[in-house]
Amino acid sequence: MTKIGLEIHCQLTNLESKLFCSCKANYRGFEPNANICPVCIGLPGSLPRLNKKAVEKATMIAMSLNCNTPDKLAFFRKNYFYPDLPKNFQITQLNVYGEHSIGQNGTILVDDKEIRIRRIQLEEDPGRLIYEGISEKTQITLVDYNRAGTPLVEIVTEPDFENERQVRLFLNILSDLLDNLDVSNPSLEGAMRADGNISIEGGNKVEIKNVNSFHDLEKALHFEITRQESLISRDIPIEQETRHWDDKRKITVSARIKEGEEDYRYFLEGDIPWITIDSQTLNKLKADMPESISSKKERYITKQIPAQVAEVLSSDKFCSDLFELAHNESNAIVIANLITTDLMGLVDTDEKREKSKLTHQHLTDLANSIETKEITRTSAKTALQECVATGLPVSEIISTLDLGHISDESELNKIIDEIFIQEPNTVEQTKTNPETINYLIGKVMEKTKGKADPTLTLNIINKKLS
Amino acid sequence: MNLGISALRYVEEVKNGSFTIEEFISKTVEQIKKHDGKLHAYLSFDDHVIEQARNLDRKIANKEKIGSCFGMPISIKDNICVKGGKTTCASKMLENFVAPYDATVVLKLKSEDVIIIGKTNLDEFAMGISTEFSAYGTSHNPWNTDYVPGGSSGGSAVSVSAFECIASLGSDTGGSVRNPASFCSVVGFKPTYGLISRYGLISYANSIEQIGPLTRTVEDTAFFLNIISGFDPNDDTTIDNKNEDYLSNIDAGVEGKKIGIIKEMVGQGTDKEVVSATNNAIKKFEELGAKIEEISLDMIDYSVASYYTITSTEAGSNLARYDNLRYGYDFPLEGYEFNSYISKARKNFGPEVTRRMILGGFVPSAGYAGKYFLKALKVKKKLTDEINEAFKKIDFLIAPTVPVLPFKIGEKIDDPVALFLLDFNTVIANLTGKPAISVPFEISNGLPIGIQLIANSMQDKPLLQAAYALQNTVKLPEVPI
Amino acid sequence: MVSKEEIENVAKLMRIELDDHIVHVDRVQKMIEYFDILDKASVESEEFDVQEKSITKLREDKYIPYDEKLIEALKNYKENYVRAPKMV
Repeated sequence: MTKIGLEIHCQLTNLESKLFCSCKANYRGFEPNANICPVCIGLPGSLPRLNKKAVEKATMIAMSLNCNTPDKLAFFRKNYFYPDLPKNFQITQLNVYGEHSIGQNGTILVDDKEIRIRRIQLEEDPGRLIYEGISEKTQITLVDYNRAGTPLVEIVTEPDFENERQVRLFLNILSDLLDNLDVSNPSLEGAMRADGNISIEGGNKVEIKNVNSFHDLEKALHFEITRQESLISRDIPIEQETRHWDDKRKITVSARIKEGEEDYRYFLEGDIPWITIDSQTLNKLKADMPESISSKKERYITKQIPAQVAEVLSSDKFCSDLFELAHNESNAIVIANLITTDLMGLVDTDEKREKSKLTHQHLTDLANSIETKEITRTSAKTALQECVATGLPVSEIISTLDLGHISDESELNKIIDEIFIQEPNTVEQTKTNPETINYLIGKVMEKTKGKADPTLTLNIINKKLS
Repeated sequence: MNLGISALRYVEEVKNGSFTIEEFISKTVEQIKKHDGKLHAYLSFDDHVIEQARNLDRKIANKEKIGSCFGMPISIKDNICVKGGKTTCASKMLENFVAPYDATVVLKLKSEDVIIIGKTNLDEFAMGISTEFSAYGTSHNPWNTDYVPGGSSGGSAVSVSAFECIASLGSDTGGSVRNPASFCSVVGFKPTYGLISRYGLISYANSIEQIGPLTRTVEDTAFFLNIISGFDPNDDTTIDNKNEDYLSNIDAGVEGKKIGIIKEMVGQGTDKEVVSATNNAIKKFEELGAKIEEISLDMIDYSVASYYTITSTEAGSNLARYDNLRYGYDFPLEGYEFNSYISKARKNFGPEVTRRMILGGFVPSAGYAGKYFLKALKVKKKLTDEINEAFKKIDFLIAPTVPVLPFKIGEKIDDPVALFLLDFNTVIANLTGKPAISVPFEISNGLPIGIQLIANSMQDKPLLQAAYALQNTVKLPEVPI
Repeated sequence: MVSKEEIENVAKLMRIELDDHIVHVDRVQKMIEYFDILDKASVESEEFDVQEKSITKLREDKYIPYDEKLIEALKNYKENYVRAPKMV
């Protein structure tokens, strides 16, 4: 049986400052090395100063994944030499001297399968290396430390996944969960990375590292499963090793780490005292946690919103936030429907969401207009598009685009008369096949660009036919 | 004008107009020019001290308010960052490192208008007790220049002792302030762990070390402690001392206090002159109305091994950042691969630091952590429990600061274990986080002997009161320079 | 007794080049030998002494840009990147 475990690194991009200093947590958009200070580049004499909110937000992640959270947090040093690591050690967490990392022993349901979370730890991201020239064998490496010290939450799962599909579902759920907690924007490049480990029946565990995106992880896992299965089928033993994902060739290659080379000499970080989290703080964190996706979904269902719509709506924070502000007891279904069938298609990228001028008031007004039959559901879609693009008030959009309902009986009478003249055969058919009335209604809608009051249209047609 | 006056006296005299700040600073600079060629207390100087002195004199003349140090000349150990000048840690590795910021203690002193004369010598990265491991040459003891001044803050002790400044800041990881203070006959103080910010102190063993003043008198130590102690938002390990005034009631005395003598610290391996001085100090305390009792700590025999295991481990990690990429010294990287480059670059570490790096890689390594590093931590914990138990019954511990008299330059440098054992009396305060002070007490055949007092955590003020009482029982000769 | 080979391996991990065995390997061996005294210490407790601090006293999450162009205080940079040796 295939067993896959994951190590997911997630940046807390929504924090203001880095984990141990006051430089910006979201380093994107800076000139190289313009988001650095003595602390995050490890100048001699500098000391780390732990970010309170990073501890709080990471604890919220742990609670959302049903982890135990400890009374005392401890930080450790992981010692190794690498140019992206300004101190040549990383401040991270470890559970060897009791359970003192942000969270442990959690679970999460993925497609009705329980995935166990072994540990969640808070640590600092290293800087970034740029290789000058075309290949790895360049003469010089360039280092940008803007990212160094960005708060990173590492989530380590047990090897509970059986295939790539479960991995993908899990990562989607996790990504929605982090978005919903407002701790991270998973769609930012490099904000979420994952390494994996795989063992198949009869083989040793193989670690895969250097994977840059979730998409690549799936490919790497797929490659590894195929590679290992083919080895087993030829009776070649699978060695316990670390392999690196080669992004260019789309294969994994052995990292060739020699015995004893990976001794990180973990020990306690003396510059950070053990952090005590009292029950009052913990309770407040619990109270301040945003509502979970599953609880939102349940609540939406009680508003008579269909389960599938509720699921889609609840797992998208941008949309569910709009929904919460826009809806009331009577218009919930209409608004949920507007969002999931029309709005999501209009704003399907972060960029579009940022540009969008739509407010929750637009949605409330649109739902009202539909309810009062001022506009049709079809016209509402056109109006929505206009709200996103211009942000003008709904009433203005309706009048400018002339989207108002045609509920004037004499006007509709005229239009229907014309259609009856144009479509004599269809009118005849209605006597034997009542379904063809729908065709006539369609024609009316076509002529009125969807603005005709559907009920009134049907009444007039029926009157004329009888 | 007497360069050998205390900090408190200096302040009085400047206020009285006995001399100007410029006069005092100029004379101090002369003194340095005259003696430092031989003594080698300093590694670098600030070229603008006369200018600073004139500025302060002008402010005084204009009746403007100035800080409580009135331009007092002080020195700073060269492992504490002072903005804009070199901070080398007496290492070739940091030959060209210029700190872009001030250590918290330096900021606090500057805001009280000290004049920082220069940066003082030390054993490379503070690893040693004689300054013989400085990459820039050994400092000499002003009491006898053939002798070491102690260390690692040897340059600081020499500068205070030889009137090349009024006070100095050193750092104490296992006795590095107290040891040279004892060897040079000045006061050296290591506070409760966390009482003084370490921000800007270049780490050697960060979980146990503290910055501490070296001064002429115990009152001066209290004066500086008032300025530099307390919570610092830049150092998460600092503690709030609620602006304690360490100078008030410093003459409270020791009547009725209980003082414990750790019997292992006056036994085997202690010079007879040192034992005799300690007994004299005990007698003085008895005369002052204190009660003396002998105590014993089970873990004490393991304290030095525990200390060196912990400090090597932390040093191995703290000094890993010296890969010469972001700061350091000139050494082109073209043609090298990363690992071979940094291994080559790190050859600029001196011999002792090189050995500590290896030790620091070894004792916490996966195969040996249980035997060495974790064991050392447990010894540290048990020793702390034992000493806490002792402090339920007594107020202070007394012991010689160093078990031996100052030794000759070159005499002990080749025996690593013998050097280790000279820390026997001082490391206990670092391992347990307790405040400790060395008070000049005797001069034996021209060589100083200091007496150490240790108190319980946050009992820094009573400790200074006891040290003051002891100080006032003796009148020591002037340094023969 | 710790072997010289072990000491040499550790030195390599610590990025320390050894060319003078007498001053380094031999003395390190002596130091480690001294540390063996720890074997005799009877310590059963699994606990360490650690400093503690309440979460409520930690630094508030606030972005404060560093007021100097720090890269210019560093050595060895090119177009605002720090230069490092090649990796392979």
